[in-house]
Amino acid sequence: MTAPEGGPLLRVEELHAAYGPVAALRGLDLTVGQGELVCLIGANGAGKTSTLRAISGLLPAARGRILFDGRPIHAAEPAEILEAGIAHCPEGRRVFPYLTVQENLEMGAYVRRDRHAVAEDLERVCTHFPILAERRRQMAGTLSGGEQQMLAIARALMARPRLILFDEPSLGLAPTLVETTFEIIADIRRRGTTVLMVEQNAYGALRMADRGYVMETGRIVLAGPARALLDDDHVRRAYLGG
Amino acid sequence: MEQLLQHLVNGLVLGGTYALLGIGLTLIFGLMNVVNFAHGEFYTLGAYAAFAALALGGVDFVVAVLAAIGAGALLGALCERVLLRPLRAESIDTTMLVMIGVWIAMQNGELLVWGGVAKSIPHPFPTAPLVLGPVSIAPLRVFVLVLAAGLIAASYLLIHRTKLGRAMRATFQDRDTAALMGVRISRIHTATFAFGSALAAAAGALLGPVFLAYPSMGDLAALKAFCVVILGGLGNLPGATLGGLLLGIAEELGAGYVSSGYRDAVGFVIIILVLLLRPSGLFAREERIG
Ligand SMILES: Nc1ncnc2c1ncn2[C@@H]1O[C@H](COP(=O)(O)OP(=O)(O)O)[C@@H](O)[C@H]1O
Ligand SMILES: [Mg+2]
Repeated sequence: MTAPEGGPLLRVEELHAAYGPVAALRGLDLTVGQGELVCLIGANGAGKTSTLRAISGLLPAARGRILFDGRPIHAAEPAEILEAGIAHCPEGRRVFPYLTVQENLEMGAYVRRDRHAVAEDLERVCTHFPILAERRRQMAGTLSGGEQQMLAIARALMARPRLILFDEPSLGLAPTLVETTFEIIADIRRRGTTVLMVEQNAYGALRMADRGYVMETGRIVLAGPARALLDDDHVRRAYLGG
Repeated sequence: MEQLLQHLVNGLVLGGTYALLGIGLTLIFGLMNVVNFAHGEFYTLGAYAAFAALALGGVDFVVAVLAAIGAGALLGALCERVLLRPLRAESIDTTMLVMIGVWIAMQNGELLVWGGVAKSIPHPFPTAPLVLGPVSIAPLRVFVLVLAAGLIAASYLLIHRTKLGRAMRATFQDRDTAALMGVRISRIHTATFAFGSALAAAAGALLGPVFLAYPSMGDLAALKAFCVVILGGLGNLPGATLGGLLLGIAEELGAGYVSSGYRDAVGFVIIILVLLLRPSGLFAREERIG
């Protein structure tokens, strides 16, 4: 296993979390280095979404630690974690359907106080995603699935995060849009934002990632450079269909 | 025809304050999932706050209404922080019982402080009605209507044009995702309850001088607020506004053309019809808060 480039930006240690009596995470360990693109793959119900929800403070940690930039965040509120620099682009896009596209983007910048820079970022995002500029005054619920995914990504960027968590960004998108979405995420990383991505499209995700983790029933069972995982027999059989 | 116009005008005056009551209740209900049985007590609180400010403080009427709004917001915020916040994870039944307790406690508190005798709230307006063609209307009622309209407009601005309002709508639509955007959901709850209670208090301060202030005045007001919410649909601001106006007008027409004794019954007949025929409200849309 290669060491992460730079120091670890995110470190999850022995993390346990549950929904009432249902254990979702059972001693999870992972790290994400500064500037890396790391992907987390695993079957349905393995605990990938729960991992991201625990990192961003929506799912309380029962045991274990989460360190961001060396500081513990496992007891912090979602707002504090976002302020620390972690944005979360949730599974199923979850745009606010009855807010306009612009209001959704403004929600992304909710914790920011620098109003001028927010206004600039709004323009920049609209230039970057022209489809959003066109639909600025439209309710987000009227957008197509692909447009909603662009909006969800753009909304996460509006927080100016240092780390973005993506949960199944390609889910339910047409193949050409899957490609576009992956390109956007690769581009975000090229611009210096660290990415932790959960994907069911394991092949697409591993091809673009630096490193990968394989998750089963609430813990990591395999980790390594993405290229090595693509060639791994177990991964090929279980997640790559052959 | 002339009578009809007169009834419509009177109905609008009542309806404007019903709309305030309804908007407050529908926001609390829609966003917090709390059935606020104490809503009428904030109405009573507003009437007594206006009484205190006008009769004892000798201030301007507008200042008295503002004082009532402040008192409603403050007590509403306190109520949410102390009683509702610890019960966030509990079922709607639990909070409903707690709010019934608040209702009883507040009403008895009012009885203790102000006594059971109805108080007439002094107001600075001349009693001679303004006559506009076929319609005559007391200056106080004009003032009530104008101020109610202003407060309704202010509520819309707050919900649709401010950052807090945007966060309230986002929270209503998708609580978890709003939290991911950094919205502190507990604060939204406190703000919503304070805001809803302030609107109820404003309605009490406006209607108090039209009628009288007495400790149980909030009971009927709360029932009417529930009517408005049912008419308008849960969490639906335009619905509550239209529902309030409709209820006020229907009451006036019922009182005028059927019998004044049936005034309060009219609203409930409408509610029963709505619940039977259109249980999601007259103006059901998918969107609610906003
Ligand atoms: N809201 C919930 N309530 C109860 N159990 C849940 C909830 N969400 C997820 N789980 C359970 O937690 C485990 C992990 O789920 P999840 O993190 O969503 O997995 P993945 O994203 O890998 O599909 C599963 O067993 C799932 O049934
Ligand atoms: Mg998932």
